Amino acid sequence: MSTHPENQTARALELLDNLKADMSPLKEYKHIGVKGPRRIDGLAKASGQADYTMDVQVPGMLYMRFLMSPYPHAKILKMDTGKAARLAGVRNVLRFDDPEVGKEEIIGKVAGFFGSDRPLSGVAHMEGELVGAAVTADSEAIAEEALALIEIDWEERPFMLDPVAASDPAAPLTFPERYIDGNHWNRGAYDELAHGDVKKGFAAADKVIEFKFSRTANTWVGPERPCGVWKWNGDCPEIWLKHQRVHLPKSRISQWFGGIPMNKIQIHSLYQGASFGGWCQVDWNLGPLWCAALVSKRTGRPVKYIFNRREDFFGGSMDEGVYFVKVGFNKDGSITAVEATLYQVNAIWPVFNPVLHLHDNTTIPHLKGQCKSIWVNKGHTVPTRCEMLPPVLTQTMIFDRVAAELGMDPIELALKNDGAMGHDMAWVNEEKKQRGFQVRDSLKECVEKGKAEFKWDESWHKPGARKLPNGRLHGVGFTWAHEWDDSCGSGEFAIRIERTDGTASLLATGADNGVDAENTYCQIAADEIGLRLEDVHYNPQQYVGFYRMTPDSSTNMSVNGWAVRHAARILKEKILESATGPTALTQRGGYQPAFPDTSPQDLDIQDSHIFLKSDPERRMSLADFVRMAGESGCFSTDEFLGVRTAWSEPLFASSYHVQYGAYNPVNPRPRFCRQAHFMEVEVDTETGEIFVTRIVNVNDVGKAINRMSCEGQQYGGSIMGVSRAKFEEVVHDPVTGVMLNGNLIDYKIATMQDLGPVSTILVETGMGYGPYGLIGVGEDIGTVVPGLMAPAVFNAIGVRIDDFPITPDKILKALGKI
Amino acid sequence: MKEFKHFNAYSIEEAVSLLGRYGERACIIAGGTDLLGKMKDAILPAYPEALVNIKTIPGLSYIKEDGGMLKIGALTVLSEIAHSEVVRSHWPALAQAACRTASPHIRDMGTIAGNLCQDIRCWYYRNQNNRFSCLRKKGGRCYAIKGDNRYHSIFGGSVSGGCLAVHPSDTAPALIALDAKIKTSGRTLDARDFFEVKPVKTTVLKADEIVTEIQVPEPAAGTTSAFLKFALRKSIDFPIVNCAAMITLKGDRVAAARICLNAVSVVPYRAAAAEQVVMGKSLDEAVAEEAGKAAVSEAKPLEHNKYMVAIARTLVKRSILACVGR
Amino acid sequence: MNKDIKNYACPYCGEKCRSADELKEHVFQAHKGRGLPAPEGSIKLTVNKAEYVIRVAPNWTLYYLIHDKLGLTGTKQFCDQGACGSCTMIVDGKPVLSCMLLAIECGGKVIETVEGIAADGHPLIEAYVNNHAMQCGYCTPGFVVTSKALLDRHPDPTEEEIVEALAGNLCRCSTYPQHPIAVREAAGKMKAAKK
Repeated sequence: MSTHPENQTARALELLDNLKADMSPLKEYKHIGVKGPRRIDGLAKASGQADYTMDVQVPGMLYMRFLMSPYPHAKILKMDTGKAARLAGVRNVLRFDDPEVGKEEIIGKVAGFFGSDRPLSGVAHMEGELVGAAVTADSEAIAEEALALIEIDWEERPFMLDPVAASDPAAPLTFPERYIDGNHWNRGAYDELAHGDVKKGFAAADKVIEFKFSRTANTWVGPERPCGVWKWNGDCPEIWLKHQRVHLPKSRISQWFGGIPMNKIQIHSLYQGASFGGWCQVDWNLGPLWCAALVSKRTGRPVKYIFNRREDFFGGSMDEGVYFVKVGFNKDGSITAVEATLYQVNAIWPVFNPVLHLHDNTTIPHLKGQCKSIWVNKGHTVPTRCEMLPPVLTQTMIFDRVAAELGMDPIELALKNDGAMGHDMAWVNEEKKQRGFQVRDSLKECVEKGKAEFKWDESWHKPGARKLPNGRLHGVGFTWAHEWDDSCGSGEFAIRIERTDGTASLLATGADNGVDAENTYCQIAADEIGLRLEDVHYNPQQYVGFYRMTPDSSTNMSVNGWAVRHAARILKEKILESATGPTALTQRGGYQPAFPDTSPQDLDIQDSHIFLKSDPERRMSLADFVRMAGESGCFSTDEFLGVRTAWSEPLFASSYHVQYGAYNPVNPRPRFCRQAHFMEVEVDTETGEIFVTRIVNVNDVGKAINRMSCEGQQYGGSIMGVSRAKFEEVVHDPVTGVMLNGNLIDYKIATMQDLGPVSTILVETGMGYGPYGLIGVGEDIGTVVPGLMAPAVFNAIGVRIDDFPITPDKILKALGKI
Repeated sequence: MKEFKHFNAYSIEEAVSLLGRYGERACIIAGGTDLLGKMKDAILPAYPEALVNIKTIPGLSYIKEDGGMLKIGALTVLSEIAHSEVVRSHWPALAQAACRTASPHIRDMGTIAGNLCQDIRCWYYRNQNNRFSCLRKKGGRCYAIKGDNRYHSIFGGSVSGGCLAVHPSDTAPALIALDAKIKTSGRTLDARDFFEVKPVKTTVLKADEIVTEIQVPEPAAGTTSAFLKFALRKSIDFPIVNCAAMITLKGDRVAAARICLNAVSVVPYRAAAAEQVVMGKSLDEAVAEEAGKAAVSEAKPLEHNKYMVAIARTLVKRSILACVGR
Repeated sequence: MNKDIKNYACPYCGEKCRSADELKEHVFQAHKGRGLPAPEGSIKLTVNKAEYVIRVAPNWTLYYLIHDKLGLTGTKQFCDQGACGSCTMIVDGKPVLSCMLLAIECGGKVIETVEGIAADGHPLIEAYVNNHAMQCGYCTPGFVVTSKALLDRHPDPTEEEIVEALAGNLCRCSTYPQHPIAVREAAGKMKAAKK
């Protein structure tokens, strides 16, 4: 091994090449893939010691609350805040017409992210928008009371809630400040995706069908609400912020107040009450934070704001919209062409085209898809576990329809059309071979395991054909997709061997969302360096150093996994070099090496011990090794007394990973890993109630590092998926545009009693784009399972319901009962 | 929550005296699970000036049989009723209703009287910051008529003006079906006469009147009862429709029947037409089905709640059948 | 001088009387049998075995008192409407929602929070960690506290009883399948420890 920088770079590039199979596989896994490593966060969370931003209290802290617009589209003509300001305990009233608030550019822009509307606008474009004024007081209760004293003359404007209606050129403008010539928002590069020639594809088809389906608003419901605290320490801000990607706000904040150097900004990123992407994708938390920063400056006091539960309901998942689909297919089941248009509600990134998945994981040669993001007077829709919702929903609806039209087993239809980028499996298999992967048929493996577990062959039947002894109709559904692959992104990691006891600290930005990623990084580092798992600890950097891509949740393994693995490999080399070189080199010379007369290649590390490969009896624990290099730390009394010190070069390594990943439109890597899901339902035909009696999830995760964590994403995603499909819906009053159910009584998320058992199966083909051939599993199941309810219900009742959520009224209507 | 005065009452007289002084400006607090939600969201036009805590009144939490009659103290929490062997064996409809109310935590906090006196859940009425000044707040109109009325009345609005908000109690229909009486600080009322639709009010209680006891008569020989609830979720939710039935058989014929639906109308809805159908008959699927149809024969569903008619019909049928063990 | 001194306000309910005699009469009539009033808004309560005497405002919820004022931040607020179980505390042996209970009504109560349960080394904590009965962890204390109350009442609950007891606790990460496993494991350990 050489430490020459150029060689290192070459080696790094080789190791990080996720377009090909793993070139330096580990010989054995001691911690990776082993069931049940103890959660690092477990004790803190179970015992209530884990702190979240909601819990933060700073001495002298004031509380800020915001005015909500009562109208979906309205402008403030006149606002009197005098009474509010005079209420005892009110310390500041910040107004929309304050010269400092009004600067739109204040919030700044971060590359790749869409700009927000200005904080505290004077115009509301949805009911509930935080507009007009913010009151800061000694308590939240006082701030709330003061808000009610603000008197406003509003100019109400016409509003729209339905995306198809709003796309009519004659429709009133829903956001004239931003979209001056119609409500069709995106006319950018991304709204259309075309492969082949759909006209040709339809002409060649034995049959062409057209249909429409829709999904109403549903949202993340993060248990911890958006919140933050701003405190000035001189000209250095100290911030506590609930945010999944806390490095982005930090970069944004550095542009405020004429520029604050990054190294003067301290952001504490504590544990996060999950947000599933959600509002962290937009700047909802930054407008309030800007207001808190301003008021903190003006009052000289720390300022905290917490959204109330209802305020967290504005905005939602980007599958909201109306989908129009046309499909051509042959009698043998081969799909020849798909054309799909999605009228998407307020999508911030209208790039996740309804036909995107069909390109990624089918043989379908002719595809055309459009995302029309239409602005209506509701909140933004953003990736919410996850952006793949529109394409996987479309895929599920298409495959189930075609299978039904042909009277074909949907699993057969899936296998028939499985492929990538319009090519069949022979082509895909050749790609696997070319890239050094073993050639395995992921979908086949998934469906075989799933079919056996689910007893599919005994369960599947013609639609509407099985009535159970309890009087309900029985139905089963199947769907599939490629594994989730938002592998684009970058992350950085460092690992340091501590002095005194030789344990390893993993250093990177913390923003825990609960997927036990920290443990998983430790498993990787332990196996790569040769440490016992208990000697590795993730030590999150609260001040947002060592950025992790989407610090928790999305790309833990597929981006950050690379970075931690590479840092571990570099560190191992460094330890072995250090063990063979002089232990402490000072002006007076150096100590004997720990392993004299050996070279790094002669050594290895196992169970936190360095040993000579040819004579494993010659070994030294890392603890002893660092101890001989400076137990007493940097206080070099020995040297002062004329004895040579034992102080050595720090054992520290950092690395990073940049990944264009599967989103790379130029040189994409075909998707090799698949997932398959099975659902059984019973439908009460008299009440329209759906009982989800069991679910089977099969995910080809490539390589499971942390099994319990993977399974947690499977059953967790399934339950959330059923909840979304069956209950979840943000309801707006059609007459006034006011949200009606922004609370957890009326917006329903599944309880422990609402679902039968979920079986979880992991397949490991090693063909993923992450280290060890893994893929990320966190966003798969919660994204694919919602759509699966439609096939299962269709199989039960024999009638299509094309409008999510599938509620009792829709079942009864479909059955002709009402 | 804004500030308010808070008084602990240590006797019924003290509570009545406090309420008398403040009138409509005070609210009774017992379990608090309904009231505090309203106050947090500031849904009412007037914020209460004072709360009168009646949990401090001793001796109002009990379940006892007194000469065959079931007596339940007003402050008895729902979980105690749900788990009471006495109630479960003789008045199963009430035990089942208590058991299906809200969530386990709420059942450990919420009282039987509170479940009867609770306010409506209409999502216009309950919207934050008194967003909709509707009829129930002495305002101009019912917003549900032209709005989203998927959870509103299928039996028309109130007499006084057209409020379509349903009564959300699970125990109310059970008590009406069981022919219970409600004893207050001033009088004893039939459960069926207890409910009333007025601005910021769901019962006939006067401002200074409090419920003290629920009395359920001993079931006649051959009597069974059952309660069924339909909600989207198995826990936490208020009912979309619920139904309680009490049937007395003589031989195999129905000698008496009381059937009450709730969450379908502005007050609990006694399904008298269904009772008539089953009277004197031997109960089977067809008779129960017929009764279900009769129960909703007067239904006038709105744009978004036709499904509730089908569910109400089904629950009437099934609760009758449940009484005879089917 | 306070001009209101002649108002003779009733210390229990604030009723204004015109004379001392009238006040006496009023107190006798309306508040018969009551002891001397405590200082306004002052309550005494036990939290995790420690006694507190503290003045509270009427509009403080128990959650606010414990979380914000006593600084026991283990209890989490999720829905703020009594619909999620996240803020559960054990009050006089019952699992109740601290966001829907006024602190001023908790005088004399014995309260247990997740911190107290953890400090006692309750086996539930380890069982929750072992079984991944948590993801983001925000709702976890509410589950632990509700489960503890269940085990107090039923030391050996069936899976069905556990699900029924926890049906009011929402977990957005949907860790539901793990909770009955964790609670059963803890119950098993408690049983073994008794033997």
